[in-house]
Amino acid sequence: MKNSLWVEKYRPTIIKDVIGNEEAKTLFVEWLENKRPTRKAVLLYGPPGVGKTTLVNAAANEYKFRIIEMNASDTRSEKAVTRIADPATSFTGLDKFSSEIKGNMLFMDEVDGIAGNEDRGGVNAIIKIIENTRVPIIMAANDCDLEKLRSLKKLCLLIRFQQTRIPLIILALKKICEQEHIKYEFEALENIATKSQGDVRSAINDLQGLSEEGKTLTEQDTLALGLRNKDISMDDTLQGYFASKNLTEAVILLNSSNVEYDDLLMAISDNIPRRYADPFKLAEAYDYLSQADVFRGRVGVENWHLLKYVYNNLAQAAAVDPESYKSFEFISPPIRVITLFWTKNKRTLLANICTKIGAQCHISKYEAKMIFIPYLRLMLQQKKKAPALIEWLKLTPEEVTFLASLKMF
Amino acid sequence: MAVNEEALMWVEKYRPKTLENVVDQHDIVESLKAFMRNPKVMPHLMFAGIPGTGKTTTALCIAHELFGMQNWRNFTLELNASDERGIDTVRERVKDFSRYSRGAFGDVPFALIMLDECDQMTGPAQTALRRIMETSSRTSRFILICNQSSKIIEPIQSRCAIFRFSRLDRVAMIEHLKEIAKKENVNISAEAVERIVDYAEGDLRHAINALQTAAAYKEGAPVDEKVVSQIIGEASPKQVQLMLNKAINGDFMEARRVMYDIIGTYGFTGAEIIRQIQKELFKISYIPPEQKADLSNILGEYDYRLTQGANSDLQLSALLAQFSKVGKVLGESS
Repeated sequence: MKNSLWVEKYRPTIIKDVIGNEEAKTLFVEWLENKRPTRKAVLLYGPPGVGKTTLVNAAANEYKFRIIEMNASDTRSEKAVTRIADPATSFTGLDKFSSEIKGNMLFMDEVDGIAGNEDRGGVNAIIKIIENTRVPIIMAANDCDLEKLRSLKKLCLLIRFQQTRIPLIILALKKICEQEHIKYEFEALENIATKSQGDVRSAINDLQGLSEEGKTLTEQDTLALGLRNKDISMDDTLQGYFASKNLTEAVILLNSSNVEYDDLLMAISDNIPRRYADPFKLAEAYDYLSQADVFRGRVGVENWHLLKYVYNNLAQAAAVDPESYKSFEFISPPIRVITLFWTKNKRTLLANICTKIGAQCHISKYEAKMIFIPYLRLMLQQKKKAPALIEWLKLTPEEVTFLASLKMF
Repeated sequence: MAVNEEALMWVEKYRPKTLENVVDQHDIVESLKAFMRNPKVMPHLMFAGIPGTGKTTTALCIAHELFGMQNWRNFTLELNASDERGIDTVRERVKDFSRYSRGAFGDVPFALIMLDECDQMTGPAQTALRRIMETSSRTSRFILICNQSSKIIEPIQSRCAIFRFSRLDRVAMIEHLKEIAKKENVNISAEAVERIVDYAEGDLRHAINALQTAAAYKEGAPVDEKVVSQIIGEASPKQVQLMLNKAINGDFMEARRVMYDIIGTYGFTGAEIIRQIQKELFKISYIPPEQKADLSNILGEYDYRLTQGANSDLQLSALLAQFSKVGKVLGESS
């Protein structure tokens, strides 16, 4: 059975075997047995890998429901939802006569992944179906705080799942090891469980990845496991980005990062001079960044299909000279943010002074900045005439001090 | 020359008060005088031309002549389009103003609205302005001031009599500066005056500010060319020059630091920085003409990308990187 995934092989088929989240399990079973008939639909929410999907499958198996499933890989526009869900929810099924199957159960996984655009009307279609359904509807989501799910939540019984407790995960791993005849050090299993941060699925995947037939799984083997990051952070993204060995690697990395692309664009621009010391390479890389930014401008707020050109150009910038890569420390937070923060006071003072000049001399703030400030700075250095000028322009002492220290742009 | 004795900046103190005294725009003044004799026929006006050629001054002179030195402020609304951001502010203020100043003055059946830097207004704002001009035309006349009339939408242009202010004649500027110097008892050499005028590139206000600064520096002692050079040096965009030099000499990180310093302190936009670079690039003596031409093209490309892109800092940084590259080519060939 080397080539089967353990997460599938050992997925519980009865509710009792689903580990952890006892309270959520009880609530769900009560709802399914119609002890809580107030809601036609239920929304299971919580972090990934804690058993939401497993529980639904196990329950269907025990209570003899046929699962009609839709998940994020299907498009969920209004049409698509109605096409699949309508027949599933309106007929209780001919099967009633022919087999043990009680009826259908509609399961929509990852409802928080219903996208705004392609899945236009998707949420509304689901709401309509809930209102008219004759069969149980179950939904699962990681994040139920989303605005777009608000109207949906009102119709559902909400059941919260938490991270599975570490000892329970260790226990599950132990069972699998015994079935697979794998020898292990207890610390190794403990490490895998801890680093999964309560995600049973990832723990089982790690176990399968690390263990070899006929060898003992040692603690040493598990040390290489990084903390499983649910989001690839900015630092990790930059690290991987700058170290990319070729274009493909950079593209794959950028696509798997969850960092906001505007932030990413800025962070790469901030750091790329540290990556390429040679002016030719730097100019070339920056030219790609510049083009990425141009495409970012064209994306605007609606042409999202252009985003891939942003990423392609960013990837090009990473792959200008892979051989020269040496790791370096990243600049953060963004230079722009820091600069504007520390200079805010200066800008305000300058703007106020320019407004005062403008009022006296019939000019705009911009003109005041360009052809008055350079000379006013110098005029104020002449102690004899300065006081009258200061009074005429109504400058405050703070503004005068500022002008004295102001460097010419 | 009438003098505003209270004003302490000479630009304001010696701003001409009557059309007669406007420097070196004789043709325009003659045409405008015809309107002054019979204000009822005066249309909306548009003054276009490079900075410091007398557009605002001429507009103020018209207000003086129409309403008199005592009253002009009561009948004139001065708006700066680039300061009063947003057409809504403009609309509100124009509406309020034309409501309260309806009372005509003497033979003048309207109030005056001066709108500065109109070419900085966006297309939609200009369209709104056109509507405002129409609805208030019974009670108001507009004087629109801009650098480039081509940036003003056609419908507005067609509603105005357009006057183009040309670059001031060098001799006229020299004469004007000498006259001010005489009145202020500044002893200044002819060469020094010429040096100022050459540096100011046809912008009279720029020249007067430089003159006043030079005079203040010497506190009564004669002003010579040396002092003027010193003043000009002090007032020239040193940081921009530093940024370019650092970039060309391969210190990209330092060049970028200076760039952020300028942006932070002065709040310049990317386009404004590019304009500064344009000016300074051609003054750098150690770059041969062919490379300057190349750099100028690169500058143009990034100027364009700046308008397309989302992030001006990034585009400017990329531009500085190009300067570093050209700098390295220069270093290798010499």
